[in-house]
Amino acid sequence: MDTALLGSEGPVRPSVFLAVFEGPLDLLLHLVREEKVSIWDIPMARVCDQYHETLRQMEWLDLEVAGEYLVYAAWLLLIKSRLLLPRHEGEEKDPRQELVERLIEYEKVKAAASELAALVELRRGVEGVRFAAPPAPEEVELDLEDVDVLALGKALANVLQRHSREHPPSLELMPMRFSVREKIIELFDLIGRQRSFPLLSHLLTRPDRLEGVTLLLAALELVRLGTARAHQRRPFAEIYLTPTGAQLPVDALTDA
Amino acid sequence: MPEPKTLAAMVEAILAVAGDPVTVDTLVAVAGEGVERGQVEEALEIVRLRHEGEGSGLRLENVAGGWRLATRPEHEGVLREYLGYRSRARLSQAALETLAVIAYRQPITMPEINFLRGVNSTAVVRTLLERSLVAVAGRKQVVGTPLLYRTTKEFLVHFGLPDLSALPTPEEVEQVTGEDASGS
Repeated sequence: MDTALLGSEGPVRPSVFLAVFEGPLDLLLHLVREEKVSIWDIPMARVCDQYHETLRQMEWLDLEVAGEYLVYAAWLLLIKSRLLLPRHEGEEKDPRQELVERLIEYEKVKAAASELAALVELRRGVEGVRFAAPPAPEEVELDLEDVDVLALGKALANVLQRHSREHPPSLELMPMRFSVREKIIELFDLIGRQRSFPLLSHLLTRPDRLEGVTLLLAALELVRLGTARAHQRRPFAEIYLTPTGAQLPVDALTDA
Repeated sequence: MPEPKTLAAMVEAILAVAGDPVTVDTLVAVAGEGVERGQVEEALEIVRLRHEGEGSGLRLENVAGGWRLATRPEHEGVLREYLGYRSRARLSQAALETLAVIAYRQPITMPEINFLRGVNSTAVVRTLLERSLVAVAGRKQVVGTPLLYRTTKEFLVHFGLPDLSALPTPEEVEQVTGEDASGS
């Protein structure tokens, strides 16, 4: 920015005070207050010019002009131009209204902030009191030098002991034994009662996996012995067992 | 059942080792069988009055929903002298404004804070988060589900407030608006 040009536009304000604005609303509020007019009757042309003038100074002083300032600069120009257009009585709201509302809200924020500042000022020198209570026994801190192998061993023993106390060995169940022979007879009995026995569902619904496996072996045995036929309509579908009518040679069965 | 004076001494002892504010409920629970809430409150009043009198370097204060023993503001000078360094980092104007917005409008989203202040406040909110004065309070169920911010217990302690309702009301704040804004 050309300094000569700037100089021709009136006295340059002291730079120190530019830095104190918290943002475009803060700056605008300041400008409006300087005009000493009601916030509801902002002289838009003057305030808008002063706002832009301040931004120019900020740029001239190489202060970083945040994007928000530029957004408001554009908005102010828009409001200013709207005011220049003839308005019909009572037809439209004041173009300044939204700006005024935002300024009033922001003014409240500033007031609340100064309330908080006053509150915190009263709190200076107020520190919570805590007498040094001895730490809880579990949190005793050991000096590394005091720790020897014996102490480590004791600590490990403690940990293991606590672990075994907190995690008692789970109850061990003896696996239930199923014999193929038994299952052959059981299955033969089942398919005899039902013309087509759904083998797969039966296997899958056994509570014990071992029982399921034994049953499968029994089923294969039944088919091998020619006492049952297995069929399936398509892969992965239900497998049905149907009796062939042949008798089960019970005595010939061996227990696998 | 302990005498009021004994109970007061017990309560004081608990607060002495607590450091953080202790709720009346906790005190009642710790005080033992048959001690009623009213008695604990009475005991707290005894402790408060005892420190209110001359000659005590401490005071009992009701902050963040509980009670705690704290040093008195008039000893700020000697405390700082003794501690050598502990002057609290002051909050900047930007931090105070942002904190005010969050305190009075909580829970509130980042875009709403930015709108009210007219400037991007992300960095300030981050600082407040680091100082534990504000915290995230979930997400707002609108487009983009932005995070919501609220003030913390630490905020109440810092500003010496028993709870959020103890903040100056917006009406009270408005009364100072005129004088304050013109001077800025």
